[in-house]
Amino acid sequence: MKSTWTIIAVLAAVLVAGCAAKKGFEKPGFAYGCPIGDTKIGTIEDLVKAKVVTEGKRTTIQATEMRCTMTGDLLKIDVNLNNDSSHVKRINYKFRWIDREGMRAWEEEVWKPLLMNESTNIVVTGIAPTSKAVDYRLILQSQE
Amino acid sequence: MIDSSRTRGLALLPLLAAVALAAGCAQEKTRYGDEKAVETVTNQFGSTDLQMIAESMTRSMLQDPVIAGGNLPIVTVQEVKNKTSEYIDTRSITDKIRAELQKSGKVRFAVDAVAMQQQVEELQRQQSELYEKEQAVEKGKMVGAQYRMEGNITSIVKQAKDVKDVYYKFNLQLWNIRNGLLEWTDEKEIRKTTSKG
Repeated sequence: MKSTWTIIAVLAAVLVAGCAAKKGFEKPGFAYGCPIGDTKIGTIEDLVKAKVVTEGKRTTIQATEMRCTMTGDLLKIDVNLNNDSSHVKRINYKFRWIDREGMRAWEEEVWKPLLMNESTNIVVTGIAPTSKAVDYRLILQSQE
Repeated sequence: MIDSSRTRGLALLPLLAAVALAAGCAQEKTRYGDEKAVETVTNQFGSTDLQMIAESMTRSMLQDPVIAGGNLPIVTVQEVKNKTSEYIDTRSITDKIRAELQKSGKVRFAVDAVAMQQQVEELQRQQSELYEKEQAVEKGKMVGAQYRMEGNITSIVKQAKDVKDVYYKFNLQLWNIRNGLLEWTDEKEIRKTTSKG
């Protein structure tokens, strides 16, 4: 009986360790590979909310997913944009790069026009222009 | 009959005067704009195209191992051929790419063929008796580039009765001067459509 309980305890420990290892895959201060600082990010929706900003005319285009990685010493971001309406939508987007002190790490990017057909997803990619850029915002704007 | 048409004409006079006054008062207004805004005044090559091309090429090149390796490669800028039917200052595109790359701190640029004449003239000027020998720059100390950057821009223009479609393709290449290998290349495509009505 004692050995049965020991086996159960060992199995539970292995399971917990397995889960812990999966969670521990992310470095502190990062969520989905993206820098988050001290902000509490539990879900991808939280991450999108923290990183996506609207400037100018509001758009119904939604950022639904966001992943970050490093290419060399440069931050690379993939954002999935979704047009779930039954109309073609035109937006402008740009990334804003922020340095360790919270200042602009680079000059303002050019607005990039993007056409999104009805019920489509498009992945837009941003690559930091400098290794000083450790954080970012995705800025969206409707053309309509 | 004549009287009634004259009366109608007289009644129109104030209206015509008001239109003329309004036209005369319509003054030109000049304002500063956002230089990074999307420009769609015509569908010819514009500032947004130039900025998008430069940004796209720079970011792509910065990821290449030749540049990302941290060895500060020395690059020289060669010609970007304009194969479109319109006038495009391609030097302005390469200047912008060069400025962005230089700012990134990952690339150094050697004097290119266009600026060589001025470089040589300055070197020769400092060799003259007007300059102190100790402070004048020596000849034979210039550093040659390891890579050369060149490219081309092409366009396809299609026009129907009410629609004009312009497609641009900008291609940039980074060649290894020593062994002639193509180290990096990328393209940026842009489509612009103008329709009437």
